[in-house]
Amino acid sequence: MRRLGPGGQGVGAREASAGDVREACARLRAAGPELIRRSTDDIAGVLGVVGVRFLDSDDPLRREALERLPHESGLSPRMASEVLEGMASDWSAERLRRMLRAEFGDPRCLDRPTELNGRRLMAHGPGLCVQIVSGSVPGVGVHALLRSLLVKAPTLIKPGRGDELLTELFAQGLGEVDSGLAGALAVLRWRGGSEAIEREAMTAADVAIVYGSDATVGALRAMAPATTRVVGYHHRTGVALVGRDSEPDRAASDLARSVAFFDQRGCVCPHRTWVETGGPLDAMDFAARVAQAMAHLESSLPAAPLSPEEASALQQLRGTAELRAGASGGRVWHGGAAAPWTVIFEPDPVPGPTTLARGVRVHALQDLEVAGEALAPLGEHLQTVGYAGFGARLDRLMEIAGRSGASRVVPLRAMSFPPPWWLHDGRGPLLELVRWVEVEAER
Amino acid sequence: MHPRFEETAAILEARFAEGSAVPWTDDAFGSHAFAVFVVQYESCSVYRSLCDARGITPANLAAWTDIPAVPATAFKYFDFIDDGAGAPEATFRTSGTTRGDEARGRHLVPRLSLYRAALLAPLRAALMPDRGRARFISLIPNPVEVPDSSLSYMVGAAADTLAGGIDWLVDAAGAWSSETEAVCRRAAATGEPVVLLGTALAFQHAIERAARGEPSLGRLPDGSRVMETGGFKGATRHVSRDELHGGITSLTGIPAERIVNEYGMTELLSQLWEPVLVEGLAGRGVHRPAPWLRVRALDPVTLHPVPEGRDGILCFFDLANLGSVAHVLTEDVGSVVDGRVRLRGRAPGAEPRGCSRAMDELMSAAGQP
Repeated sequence: MRRLGPGGQGVGAREASAGDVREACARLRAAGPELIRRSTDDIAGVLGVVGVRFLDSDDPLRREALERLPHESGLSPRMASEVLEGMASDWSAERLRRMLRAEFGDPRCLDRPTELNGRRLMAHGPGLCVQIVSGSVPGVGVHALLRSLLVKAPTLIKPGRGDELLTELFAQGLGEVDSGLAGALAVLRWRGGSEAIEREAMTAADVAIVYGSDATVGALRAMAPATTRVVGYHHRTGVALVGRDSEPDRAASDLARSVAFFDQRGCVCPHRTWVETGGPLDAMDFAARVAQAMAHLESSLPAAPLSPEEASALQQLRGTAELRAGASGGRVWHGGAAAPWTVIFEPDPVPGPTTLARGVRVHALQDLEVAGEALAPLGEHLQTVGYAGFGARLDRLMEIAGRSGASRVVPLRAMSFPPPWWLHDGRGPLLELVRWVEVEAER
Repeated sequence: MHPRFEETAAILEARFAEGSAVPWTDDAFGSHAFAVFVVQYESCSVYRSLCDARGITPANLAAWTDIPAVPATAFKYFDFIDDGAGAPEATFRTSGTTRGDEARGRHLVPRLSLYRAALLAPLRAALMPDRGRARFISLIPNPVEVPDSSLSYMVGAAADTLAGGIDWLVDAAGAWSSETEAVCRRAAATGEPVVLLGTALAFQHAIERAARGEPSLGRLPDGSRVMETGGFKGATRHVSRDELHGGITSLTGIPAERIVNEYGMTELLSQLWEPVLVEGLAGRGVHRPAPWLRVRALDPVTLHPVPEGRDGILCFFDLANLGSVAHVLTEDVGSVVDGRVRLRGRAPGAEPRGCSRAMDELMSAAGQP
């Protein structure tokens, strides 16, 4: 069988050794003073210059990204292009400055003592930030390194498999415009789970940011000394809630798009959808519309071919869903051998294999007020809640979703691309990186 | 039970008892498969609804290969059994996977005699082609302790018929018997070849125990043989097969040409065996199904059969599964040549790519049927 998608790429690219990590960490630490001398505003400006190159169709960086991304990320060329567009539009100086303001109020607190809410404060980034990213959503690595460079932290980053390209191209672009700043960034590749290397990195870091499965995050956390701050972004998932005031075709099309984006690899992608009944909406009818929209999307935003393992898992998913449909009045629509999308209507949520490659389960929800019960099993893994059609009940939705563990409540169409200042898993990502110092005046 | 169940089971049991040496003709297999399909279609409503949805019924069936296959995963969520069946004679459970937090599958067996008939002849042909009886030494726990293990049941049932006694060396909790060394010494003293049965993981434990100087397996008489089964699913260890067999040989003196791999799964009541005792090392790496078990390698996207010798996902039709569902699509990867299977491995569940949590595992917390 053919092997497609992430895993094949990067063949030949050099994998770092523990020695490489040690050496890079020493070099990065030495770059710290230069970084501290720069103003945050200046750093944001330079990073933005590199960032927008990925939006300029004449720029060689963007051209190379578009040429190589489909192969290296395992996304279709169309999808890869949309993903780059969506990601890079958040890499401009304007967006980065807005993120700084959103988190610090007055970002000059990163440059000098500043008056904030009647307190004299200054924020310091770590002397070395190590970021171990996993997952194959392209662009996540760049988002990650932007955060730490913005707080003036020399940064060692290991991008996720399938996300090496954009991370490395960004570093290359940075080198072309600002060698000083580029000297504070190292992008290394290694196979996730390589213990000796990861121990070296986790030991060297002042602050470590780790992305991955619960097990990965747990293992990395355990490697860090007690004095190291470890920020873990463990696995998460998204859901959608469709209120009874939705315009069904539009909601179905927005939902389909959010399911399809990243071929459902993101924690922001919905896997289950609850449709509020008791009004004009019928959950099964809505599911049928989603299926129609998914089929339609195949032409404008095609899915990548599946690996044999994924194709095999998809057969298990579809077959099990068909059995369930027969047994309890559900229905299944899918793209057959031609397309991997699968829409499963199950009146009530029941256990079943994980949806993958553009799969979504649709359930009926009696009323928003009981949504908490539906979301409860997702607990600490719930992240993004996409919505449509709750009108004046939006605050109520936010309250219920938040109590259930969500940190992001957004319109269905906006699920795929959180802005730079989003509260990543419920916390400001820049604030996670810094240490505050406060001075009290003599009186 | 379905009115034709008993009769069909009796016919199959009789045919299984004829042994596994002679292949069945396509016609013979096909007509038994049709009889099995009729029973399953008519008696199991969950399965029937799938067949109806796909437009396949006994009335329009053209070939057994058209009979709808259920995904092996579905054993986690459904009981495939006659709607009118009373309590099954056994409920076997799958061991779970590396991810650990998923629901376990279960296979309800209304008539164990069919399982016994299906397992005996192939086991005898694979492990004891040259002997009527032999002492068994088992690293697989006693079925009395683990009644939901189909593997334990198989060892117990085989021992009842083929063994001149059996020693159970590992209990359900994985603890080794204090008699381990004495059992091996006694076997060695008799000079009579034994059949040593265990999972790859248990053998690996034995090798590691010996390396630490703890009581473990010892030398066994010439002519002894090993049944080794299972991979390292859910385990932290991964060693190559050659390493494992080398370790078994140095512990017990049993050479590689008498180490036989068994390939089975809870969802199927028939097994596949490496014919190494009959064919020598040429038989290594290929698994021979019982004649009443047919295997096809399918393209994972189209589900069409792939050409002989090419890898695909393995789909089994097991007549011994009369009491549940016979046609099962697995996630195991391998190729089929001349009815025999060359396993490539198990590729379960394709870990979701990206940062998305496999959310349905969370929903499965209470997910038993």
